Amino acid sequence: MTALLEIRDLHASVGDKPILKGVNLTINAGEIHAIMGPNGSGKSTMSYVLTGRDGYEVTGGDVLMNGESILELDPDERARAGMFLAFQYPVELPGVGGMSFLRAAVNARRVDAGLEEVDQLEFVKMVRAKAKLLGINDEMLKRAVNVGFSGGEKKRYEILQMALLEPNLAVLDETDSGLDVDALKIVSDGVNMLRAENRSMLVITHYQRLLDHIVPDYVHILANGKIRKSGTKELALEVEESGYAGIDDAA
Amino acid sequence: MPALMMQPDMTQEVAQSATRQQALTSWQAQGWPGPRVESWRFTPLAAIAERPIAPVRTLSSTGASIAPVIAAAAVIRFTNGVVDPDSLAALPAGVSVGDLAGDEAAIAELRQIVPAANPISDLSLAMMSAGLVLDITGVVDTPIMLVHEGEAGECSTHPVILVRVAAGASAVIAEWHGSKVGIAAPLMGISLGKGAQLDMAKLQAESSATAHVAATGVVLAEAARLSGFTLSTGAQLARLETHVKMAGEGVDCTLSAVYLGRGDQHHDVTTYMDHAIGHCTSNQVIRGVLDDRARGVYQGKVHVAEDAQKTDGQQMSRALLLSRKAEADAKPELEIYADDVICAHGATVGELDETQLFYLTSRGIPMAQARAMLIEAFLLDAIDAISNPALAQLLRPAAEAWMSTQGETGA
Repeated sequence: MTALLEIRDLHASVGDKPILKGVNLTINAGEIHAIMGPNGSGKSTMSYVLTGRDGYEVTGGDVLMNGESILELDPDERARAGMFLAFQYPVELPGVGGMSFLRAAVNARRVDAGLEEVDQLEFVKMVRAKAKLLGINDEMLKRAVNVGFSGGEKKRYEILQMALLEPNLAVLDETDSGLDVDALKIVSDGVNMLRAENRSMLVITHYQRLLDHIVPDYVHILANGKIRKSGTKELALEVEESGYAGIDDAA
Repeated sequence: MPALMMQPDMTQEVAQSATRQQALTSWQAQGWPGPRVESWRFTPLAAIAERPIAPVRTLSSTGASIAPVIAAAAVIRFTNGVVDPDSLAALPAGVSVGDLAGDEAAIAELRQIVPAANPISDLSLAMMSAGLVLDITGVVDTPIMLVHEGEAGECSTHPVILVRVAAGASAVIAEWHGSKVGIAAPLMGISLGKGAQLDMAKLQAESSATAHVAATGVVLAEAARLSGFTLSTGAQLARLETHVKMAGEGVDCTLSAVYLGRGDQHHDVTTYMDHAIGHCTSNQVIRGVLDDRARGVYQGKVHVAEDAQKTDGQQMSRALLLSRKAEADAKPELEIYADDVICAHGATVGELDETQLFYLTSRGIPMAQARAMLIEAFLLDAIDAISNPALAQLLRPAAEAWMSTQGETGA
């Protein structure tokens, strides 16, 4: 069986600085993998390299989705191929209306798949239904994208986008950062509702607490640009107790 | 008017009007301003100066019009700068039209209103390929559209229009310029009486070979309201110069302008806001988007006279560069001689935000569309300032059409 995502000996630099130094990781359909690691270990770089952001240069290795390299694809092409990034810091887009943004994103993927653009009224209904589950009200939907949203609202809005775009691979970059306990629960419940056999997730986090809510199948420890240790969800608890110290040596 | 005379002797043409004679003399003495004239420093006219000044005097048969027209508007048509008399026949109630060329008092009035020391004020008043006086005496809801077209590449056009909105009257006027003439030099004088209201929009969509050099003067009496919006997308070189004089208290004047340039286009928006008296509000929102090697210029001066207390004068210009070779210059100026005023001005030049583009494309939105979305957002507060729905309906599609087309260098 072809893996949904296969990262092979991935090296990447930002500017002249090597950040990822040979990452290997295979994610099969339906699996949830967590990547944990100390600050500066390369976690966020990983999310940007996977989604193809400018300025994150792959210097070696490969990333395959369903057996095909995606490194030559632009970010929008990767997204339409089923990749989704929930941003650590969702970006404010003043003047860009929320509904037209969501519709543009959904339609881009539909058109690519040879489907008709979504009917406007149907779409509004669908967005409202999914938004309601995430505690996003109509007033928030009418605003410009992320403008005037609280930290928690921004994260919920990311999950709403994920729910609408129905990705094959969702990368959640520090989705727990800036969330209080209640907000964390809403966001995690939202993510858990989206668990599916054909949907894999890569959950990037500094803290174990998110993994109490979004329970992973596998946990990997990223440190100094490499995966130093892999295991099941118990590994996250181990890290919680003993910290990241010593992980480097374990490799 | 002598028929079939393509280039009449201007001396004869202006003989009946002392004011036009003065304008001609002034034009002949000054000509096109050179690079050392401060107000034209950013907009060199060397290439324009080589083009013939050749107003057409007869109405040629008009081809099929390509102008977008507001539904139910009364349309006054100009072809190669000459007005189609048939188009003057069916104006709405409350609007009357007169011949400017034969009305020396109106000509003198116009000369007082239009920008002083401006070459177009002199040149077009002297040449006057068409001259109209539009008197608005009632509350006129039917939009009046001035459509300027023409295929004569070697000709210059000099339509001169005096608009007088009487006290308490109101009108909605839209101008559309989409010709292929060499030089389009429309001159307009607008006078608003006490409490008069005017919603105005201008869409400059000339051919890429045309030089569009316009001069407009406005004088506002007590409690008059002017809401003006300009969208400039066409022409090789466009200079839109507007001077506003607030002559009575309680005036509310909004002037917004959006220029969109690509290729080697040059857009110049120049304004002069004269707060001659206190208790008036002026607000200018200027937005420019420049791709390829296009250049944008905004010069805006707000003058607050001594004793013009309680003046509120705002001016904000922002330019967005889509290409490294595009260039924007801004020269905002405040000249304040009163002490109890609220005035602010600012000018910024920037690029599309990489993080915002990544956010949009990471959702699957193609880069070209993502750029268009951000450009539209950038223009939004200027375009939203068009309060009249008929005018918004005319201008929005034109701006959207520009945004949906990529420049030479593309995304």
